[in-house]
Amino acid sequence: MRGALLIILLVAGSVAGLLWGQVALAPGALWQGLVTGEGPAALMIGTIRGPRVGTALGAGAVLGLSGALFQTLFRNPLAAPDILGFTSGAGLAVVVSIAFGLVAPMPLVAAAGGILAALLVTGIAWRRGHRTPPLSIILVGLGMGFFTSALSNFLMTLLPQAEAAEAQRWVTGSLAARDWGHVAQVWLPGAALLLAALGQARLLETLELGDDLAAGLGLRVEAVRRGLAATGVLLAATGVAVAGPVPFVALMSGPLGARITGATSVAGRLLAAAGAGALVLMLADLVARSALPGIQLPVGVMTGILGAPYLLWRLSREMDRGKL
Amino acid sequence: MSLTAEALTIGYEGRTVIDGLDLEIPEGEVTAILGPNGCGKSTLLKTLARLIEPASGRVLLQGDDIHASHSGKLARRLAILPQDPLAPDGITVGDLVRRGRTPWRGFLSPWREEDAAACARALEAVHLTHLAERPLNELSGGQRQRAWIALVLAQDTPLLLLDEPTTFLDLVHQLEVLSLLRQRNRDTGLTVVSVLHDLNMAARFSDVLVLLGRGGLVATGAPETVLTPDNLERAFGLAARVEPDPVTGKPMVCPL
Repeated sequence: MRGALLIILLVAGSVAGLLWGQVALAPGALWQGLVTGEGPAALMIGTIRGPRVGTALGAGAVLGLSGALFQTLFRNPLAAPDILGFTSGAGLAVVVSIAFGLVAPMPLVAAAGGILAALLVTGIAWRRGHRTPPLSIILVGLGMGFFTSALSNFLMTLLPQAEAAEAQRWVTGSLAARDWGHVAQVWLPGAALLLAALGQARLLETLELGDDLAAGLGLRVEAVRRGLAATGVLLAATGVAVAGPVPFVALMSGPLGARITGATSVAGRLLAAAGAGALVLMLADLVARSALPGIQLPVGVMTGILGAPYLLWRLSREMDRGKL
Repeated sequence: MSLTAEALTIGYEGRTVIDGLDLEIPEGEVTAILGPNGCGKSTLLKTLARLIEPASGRVLLQGDDIHASHSGKLARRLAILPQDPLAPDGITVGDLVRRGRTPWRGFLSPWREEDAAACARALEAVHLTHLAERPLNELSGGQRQRAWIALVLAQDTPLLLLDEPTTFLDLVHQLEVLSLLRQRNRDTGLTVVSVLHDLNMAARFSDVLVLLGRGGLVATGAPETVLTPDNLERAFGLAARVEPDPVTGKPMVCPL
């Protein structure tokens, strides 16, 4: 069971996430804080690092799951919600709501933005009477990502400085100053969407055989595809709502999870991607907030530094295989 | 399980490929659909399998219009193996064949004894039982095609349609695939309909041939009545003599 390896990594990573930061705790103090709920460690865990690690785990898991869902659906390792522009669409929606002072729950705003971006991408890539090739969707999605990021930046230049700083931190992807409310906000819908994704795993498994064979096996292909895409977009939006549009976590987690666990079934790969996403985002955040003394980098900067080389490597591999 | 096309007109990418075709696929027999490239053989097969919606006309499976039927229930009566199914990365032969049980399994329902039995029978029929644990991509081309056939056999339908099941195979593997399909027909009464390219192979292994030309149906019936110099000229524009096959006595096409 190589799945156990991923669980051990997650537990070890979480402990490290609670221990380290700008101020390191001793393991004994952590233990005491967890058991007794008293002392400086308990305060640190209860108000700062606990919710931060909890949010990172939850947001990473839903982003990773979303990425694996789209990668399987499009049969392309580049098809992840961050590459397809869905997360930056969700980010733009949040910036818009800050700029115009809309009073609406952040997850709903982010979800609306993500869904709108997804609809626009599929709408632009769609040609009458033809199956849209995944590559057209990916290219349109890349364009959508640049466009929505540019719009976000433009809006931020118009904002007063304090709000602009808040929006800026938001679109980079940040886990600073999270509270237990954020943890609940990502874990509750995240758990429901995980169940929805696992419930659709068998459909996805059939769809993997190609549209014609899947239809021959009784699948209503278009309806199934829409259901899976909707689940994927909502998962991505759930993550963006609490962590901002952190880049590359969704892209990397599917292949990384499969590599760590060796999972081959669709349900196994989805679970592995969720675990890998949680691990990546949590470790990236740990490094971002403890690597430079006195400076806490936004986590999005860290995943960008990690993710960009991965994307380049992946692109060159796809070109070698003649798929791009 | 009878399959009939009534006044079937099929358009494809803005052009009419099949125009007003009436066709009856005989029950319990092996039928081959033949014709030149671009005459709409595959389009017709996909329409018979409800993968393509006809512009007009109907396809009836024992009286039910298949394009108006519940797709999941239909999948228990009619199976189709398309020309280019996709193999998931790293899948084993056994896992691939198990996916053929999809129409018989409800949401979250467990794997049952009868599912396992159907898969075992399907693997047995294509002689791949000993390779069930092997990854599909380690198999030879002929073995791989047999694994895909096992998937649709595990679907346990009385009617099986196949789109060019022998196109990328060498002669020996073509013989292997076609004879195992006919064996399955003789053993279980499975109705088999395939799109084929090789006229002589089709004559050898089929009870009924459906010959299409650019202008629609040219002839249908027993190989002896369909493969005549006259029909070949009309369907393919091919000048040929037809002699009895020295091995089987079936008609054999010799182009001039």
